[in-house]
Amino acid sequence: MTRAAYHYSFDHEHLLSIEGLSPLDITHILDLADNYAEATRAGIRPDPVLKGKVVVNLFFENSTRTMSSFEIAARRLGADVISMPVAASSVKKGETLIDTAMTLNAMKPDALIVRHSASGGPKLLSRKVDCAVINAGDGTHQHPTQGLLDTLTIRRTKGRIEGLKVVICGDIAHSRVARSTTQALHLMGAEVHLCAPRTLLPSGTDTWGAASATTDFDKALKGADIVMMLRLQLERMDGAFLPSRREYFSFFGLTKERLALAKPDVTVMHPGPMNRGIEIESAIADGEQSVITEQVEMGVAVREAVLHLLAGGRA
Amino acid sequence: MSLSIYNARILDPASGLDETGAVFIDRGKVKEISAGQTTAHADAKASIDAGGLCLAPGLVDLRVKTGEPGVEQKETLATASRSAVAGGITSFVVMPDTTPVIDDMALVRFITERAKTSAAARIYPAGALTTGLKGEAMAEIGLMANSGAVIFTNGDLPVANASILKRAMAYAASLGATIMSRPDERALSGSGVMNAGELAGRMGLSGIPIEAEWIGAMRDTALAEATGCTLIMDQVSTPRTIEIANAARERGAKVFTTAAAHSFFFNELDVGDYLTYCKVNPPFRDEATRLGLIDALKRGEIDAVVSAHDPQPPEEKRLPFGEAAFGAAGLETVLPAMLSLVHDGPLSLLEALAPVTCRPADMLGLPQGRLAANAPADLVLFDPGKPWLCEREYLRSRSTNSPFDGRRLQGRVLRTFVAGEEVFTHESIA
Repeated sequence: MTRAAYHYSFDHEHLLSIEGLSPLDITHILDLADNYAEATRAGIRPDPVLKGKVVVNLFFENSTRTMSSFEIAARRLGADVISMPVAASSVKKGETLIDTAMTLNAMKPDALIVRHSASGGPKLLSRKVDCAVINAGDGTHQHPTQGLLDTLTIRRTKGRIEGLKVVICGDIAHSRVARSTTQALHLMGAEVHLCAPRTLLPSGTDTWGAASATTDFDKALKGADIVMMLRLQLERMDGAFLPSRREYFSFFGLTKERLALAKPDVTVMHPGPMNRGIEIESAIADGEQSVITEQVEMGVAVREAVLHLLAGGRA
Repeated sequence: MSLSIYNARILDPASGLDETGAVFIDRGKVKEISAGQTTAHADAKASIDAGGLCLAPGLVDLRVKTGEPGVEQKETLATASRSAVAGGITSFVVMPDTTPVIDDMALVRFITERAKTSAAARIYPAGALTTGLKGEAMAEIGLMANSGAVIFTNGDLPVANASILKRAMAYAASLGATIMSRPDERALSGSGVMNAGELAGRMGLSGIPIEAEWIGAMRDTALAEATGCTLIMDQVSTPRTIEIANAARERGAKVFTTAAAHSFFFNELDVGDYLTYCKVNPPFRDEATRLGLIDALKRGEIDAVVSAHDPQPPEEKRLPFGEAAFGAAGLETVLPAMLSLVHDGPLSLLEALAPVTCRPADMLGLPQGRLAANAPADLVLFDPGKPWLCEREYLRSRSTNSPFDGRRLQGRVLRTFVAGEEVFTHESIA
């Protein structure tokens, strides 16, 4: 493990947003995650730093990928994990987010991993509980572990973050991934360009740290080191925000021809789940430039690191 | 019972009076105002030495929501009135969006009767403009007006169909009835929860764009002009909305504007970490807009300032921001909010008081809101400079969802009188 020579401690109670993290914090998380990733690849079982700890997965919104990723991460570190898809249970009976949180808090968990459809939901919950709260995605606000895993994936692929040109394309307006990833990459010195149809491109993206926001995907792609495509929810494509799927694909779909505008060694990313043939061609998603499966792998490593730092005592 | 309040700084925005003197009250009315007099009237049965503090007409508030009838756990007419008089408000209009909706004369009379028997302030019912506030069919405006409804409104959700609104306005105009409507194009603002802009984008919250208000204002003023109806534009939140009103007035339309007291005090940044007490509609706008609104108030282009009191219990506010109810409890913070525009802003005391006293009273044709011989003796005695910390547990409203919670304010009501009777005394002097 890389130990910093200077005095540093990871001084956060919760992980609710990338906002509030320093580049040093991010480096620290990524270094730790890197070690976990290498350990897993080498088949080494990591120290059970969460042994005897209780980690609760509280998902108010359906998710298989993120919930399993957190569950695997916590188990690898020796935690007892309880996964509660709340979408189907108590909330329907009129129990509020706060009531659920208070009930769970009384059972003294060590960490709560929360996904909620409302922006700010995990923040509200963190005010009412005594344990660490990790935001696993809140509405259209933040998905900090995704921002971190994207940053780690890029660092491993390119060997650095600073100075890279990153293009993120898709439904920026409704994407919590776009917000978290843009902020994290900007903090680490990358130049992030956002690209979307006008109706899905909000104002003020410079305050997230984006270098530019454009509707011209071809222009944005020139000289790009990284292209990250975002999932576009199908219901947004049928006339409400965009005329049609084929019109979207023709202007914003990632094709081989379009990808040729970027640097020859460009890397392709996608936070998943993908709409193959709508935002990205299958050949690219499965091609050698794609690190989409590595993103999933790094997701577990980053979540191990975050759980370690927040619930495992000081590293 | 006669009463003399002497050695007071008498403030009457209607006449421009701002002088030390004494007020003589008899049988519920102001009998005499004696400028320069620092001693009690000799023939008064009782007297109060104001110690040089401010004596002004009781405040008149055109927009208050309660939960009575139907949702009394939020607020009753009685609890709202106690909160009102603690804030120096002696007359207020209650909105019709209750359960059931106040859309017929029996319900109008119910409000009037309940107010008479239980409330500490004068309460005036607003009638629903459309049946059930559904925006589909005109309610019985004439019969409700005869039963005591002072204005007609569709409440928080304006009539969407312009044709229905135009007919309601034409009909109301023929009766001399006043319509109050929120300028709001719901097709644009409907899903929003805070001011649209960079901050909403970063916080992942859907925005309420300012142009929704402008389009609503353009439509409503055009219809008021076409029908000759008197229109109060409810809670404008941008300077450009005032410009739209001014343009309509220049063409002869009878258009008034109101703004919520909190909109002069807060901006969108106060929403901060998803603070649901700061979730109101219209939302707190950006700082430039807030300052523009203060300028418009200074120029006298905002006719009345309202509390927009909208009590919400914790179960409606302790929710994620997007899911929480709109609304702020506001009765006790109107005066300090206005005084902040005197202490830290460009207004004189009289300029700050006019939009909460004589101007709204004039809009309704009420005799109160002024300190003049034969006016009702509705008065407020306040210390304009007294600092205090607003803590919601000490607010008198049944719901204490105040965005001012935890704020340091300046200016405190000490005594409030309705029809010459003292209905509120601050604990420091009780």
